[in-house]
Amino acid sequence: MSDGSSPLLELERLEKIYPNGTAALSGVDLEVRSATVHGLLGANGAGKSTLIRILSGATRATAGEILWRGERVSWSRPAQARAAGIATLHQQIPLVGTLSVLENVFLAQRGGWRRGQPLEARLSRLMASIGYEIDIHAPVETLSIGERQMVGILQALAAEATLIIMDEPTASLAAAERQIVHRTLRRLAAEGRAVLLVSHFLDEVLALTDEVTVLRDGAAVLTSATALLDEAGLAAAIVGRAVREAAPRAPGDAVAGRPVAEIIGLESPGRLAPCSFAVGAGEVLGIAGFLGSGRSELLHAIFGADRGARGEVRLFGKPLARSPRAAVAAGIALVPEDRQAQGLVPEFPLWKNLTLAHLGRFARWGLFLRSASETAAAEAAIEQLGIKAHGVATAVSELSGGNAQKVSVARWLCGPTQLLLLDEPTAGIDVGAKSEILALIRELAAGGLAIVLVSSELTELTAAADRILIMREGAIVAERMAVATSEEELVLLASGAAGELPTGAGIS
Amino acid sequence: MRFQAEVRRALGLREAGVYYALLLLIITLAVVCAVLGRPSYLSAVNLINIVYQAAPVALMGVAMTVVLITGNFDLSVASVAALAAAVQIGAVDAVGFAPALCLALAAAAAVGLLNGVMVQLVGINAFIVTLGTLTAVRGLVLIVTGGRSLMVQTPAALATMTGFESGRAGPFPYPILYMAGFTLLVWLVVHFTTLGRRTYAVGGNAEAARLCGIRVNAYRIGAFVLSGLVAGFAGVLYASRFGAMNPTALQGEELTVIAAAILGGTSLFGGAGSVLKTVAGALVLYTLTNGFNVLNLGANYQGLIEGTVLIAAAAIYTVGGRRGKSLRRLRALAHDTIIPVRSALPETPCHKTRC
Repeated sequence: MSDGSSPLLELERLEKIYPNGTAALSGVDLEVRSATVHGLLGANGAGKSTLIRILSGATRATAGEILWRGERVSWSRPAQARAAGIATLHQQIPLVGTLSVLENVFLAQRGGWRRGQPLEARLSRLMASIGYEIDIHAPVETLSIGERQMVGILQALAAEATLIIMDEPTASLAAAERQIVHRTLRRLAAEGRAVLLVSHFLDEVLALTDEVTVLRDGAAVLTSATALLDEAGLAAAIVGRAVREAAPRAPGDAVAGRPVAEIIGLESPGRLAPCSFAVGAGEVLGIAGFLGSGRSELLHAIFGADRGARGEVRLFGKPLARSPRAAVAAGIALVPEDRQAQGLVPEFPLWKNLTLAHLGRFARWGLFLRSASETAAAEAAIEQLGIKAHGVATAVSELSGGNAQKVSVARWLCGPTQLLLLDEPTAGIDVGAKSEILALIRELAAGGLAIVLVSSELTELTAAADRILIMREGAIVAERMAVATSEEELVLLASGAAGELPTGAGIS
Repeated sequence: MRFQAEVRRALGLREAGVYYALLLLIITLAVVCAVLGRPSYLSAVNLINIVYQAAPVALMGVAMTVVLITGNFDLSVASVAALAAAVQIGAVDAVGFAPALCLALAAAAAVGLLNGVMVQLVGINAFIVTLGTLTAVRGLVLIVTGGRSLMVQTPAALATMTGFESGRAGPFPYPILYMAGFTLLVWLVVHFTTLGRRTYAVGGNAEAARLCGIRVNAYRIGAFVLSGLVAGFAGVLYASRFGAMNPTALQGEELTVIAAAILGGTSLFGGAGSVLKTVAGALVLYTLTNGFNVLNLGANYQGLIEGTVLIAAAAIYTVGGRRGKSLRRLRALAHDTIIPVRSALPETPCHKTRC
């Protein structure tokens, strides 16, 4: 392997300029050493993805040099990078859903003949080496996102990679699953491998990495040993300015609002124990809990999207019929967890996505569309929410995560929305956009909306919510005022009285 | 700048390819005819004849496009058309033209409803369901007709039926008017009403549409019923043209209908498609057929040429459809052989796989 002092991977003035003139990378220097975890940070659009694509051989740099173990290399195909010992774990892990864990882990192995026995033994050894257990015969499509992440890591280990690039490995994971990934990262480094970790979680980067590089506008603006950094410094380097925390709430002002929605004995067999609570106008009600604790299920049940759910949802005292259609008509809005899969229509430009939920308002007699008023509404939303887009005709697939999220929130603001249900609105978006979204949530509440906010980030909940319900195993187990609780207390409540984190991923 | 880009896109191969193809085909045939000294290809009689021949397929193609936009698939149209033709001819002597028409359309719509319910409410894949009805409805036609040709018996009924089909408004035979009227209506609905927008949304992202309060099942089942109805109408046109039918009539025609939609650039994955281009697609297919006749080329070549044209068209749409990506990038992608797992939602039944 490498002799310790010279870096495993070295980038010198790496540039990537696309044929249309966009400079994704404008001269990046980076050094990754063996036996270290190297953090790579940057806002959306800073050039992280391009850098990863170049390192994994998916695209070529237009200028600059890559030195791998001290030698100049230039990969034109992902297979070459893989053969050299670089494994890349993309955010959307490319696994074959219908094949088992075992078959996926050894998918890229050469040789036409697969013998189960030795491979099974090898996989058991690999799992033992990182201290993780999974049913190796389970088809991958039945696994949770966290488990798939672990299969991706096992795949990289099986390929005997010396550099493992991880693109936001923990973005969609619950705390317990995150712990496993964190442990695995440290173990990999201890074994002498190098890890290049891309993450939006500053605390994670500070806790796990040895060195950090921050990209901004295609250039490395900060390279430093992690020990010399703190969260504020990192955040400032990422956004290029000091980050404004979400506007602090004025305690008490919201709680006085009249109840907008009352949830009475709402339950869904096998998913949700009977829940009862109310949300007031101008109130942000946070829902805390780990992945699989029933948070999303609760939102879907309130919205009427869960056909098996029973119980009552009242809006201003009036009971609602149980269907998304009735919910939308009455003024309930759901911004789902997965923007791309559940929120936006990829074929539609921004303005058509924006008006979809309350289309009737942009039509004469509810039938004949007035596209002028539609585009006007879209322009107003772009202006109001500060959506960064070329115009109303921009394809939603071209928007960054934060802007796409704003579109899926803005969709509901052009209708008679009274109750806004937000499911992980800040998942997978960068620090700057996050604080914008949180500020937006507070602003909407101040405007009189009742908001239910589900988030895995407890910091976010305590900052943005007035009151927090804690869920565990499909039931509401506690309620706290946001000003009177702490992240530590929330973790303890969500994980049970004993304060022990649930093990295993994705209880369902 | 933006306007120019829009124009360039609208005139690009992907957006307007099928119109270019049609134009190119007609010009080629006109030139060849002129060179060989045949009667003028561009005569009104010949052109109207092409449209007249294409009308039933274009009609069904427009309804098929709506089904495809919602993200489904209907293989049963030709069998349903044959069923409607059989009902029309079987009933017209006894009950008269209009009641027979209603019966025929009702039978056709019922099959469409069955398709829709099986696909949306039971959750069986549309390809399987409509392959089943394709076969079963054809079997039903054979049972109803006893395997023999049916003929209209009373001269009065026969006269009404042929009047319905072969009458003319000016130079245009009625089927062209039916087709043009229906296409225009669907085009207007699809582009300028909330119904149309929601239809596209349902096919583009069913879960997003559902969470926006759109009744996904209603739209998809509605598309199937429309497809059945229109197939029934095409069947009645067919029956009226000859005043008779044999039980294997229109066999295989569903593939021509789907081919017309694909030539028009309709996506098999839903969310995209244009009814006008489907009509152009049908015209391309019938111009080809017509060209073979006019030039006295052997009919043997026809299948080969049509199939090639279909695949070439699909290739243009697929390659041209990857917006903003250079061919080099495409080649790089081709090396990535692992297929990503797209459905991260185990609870949604997988009607289709997107790539």
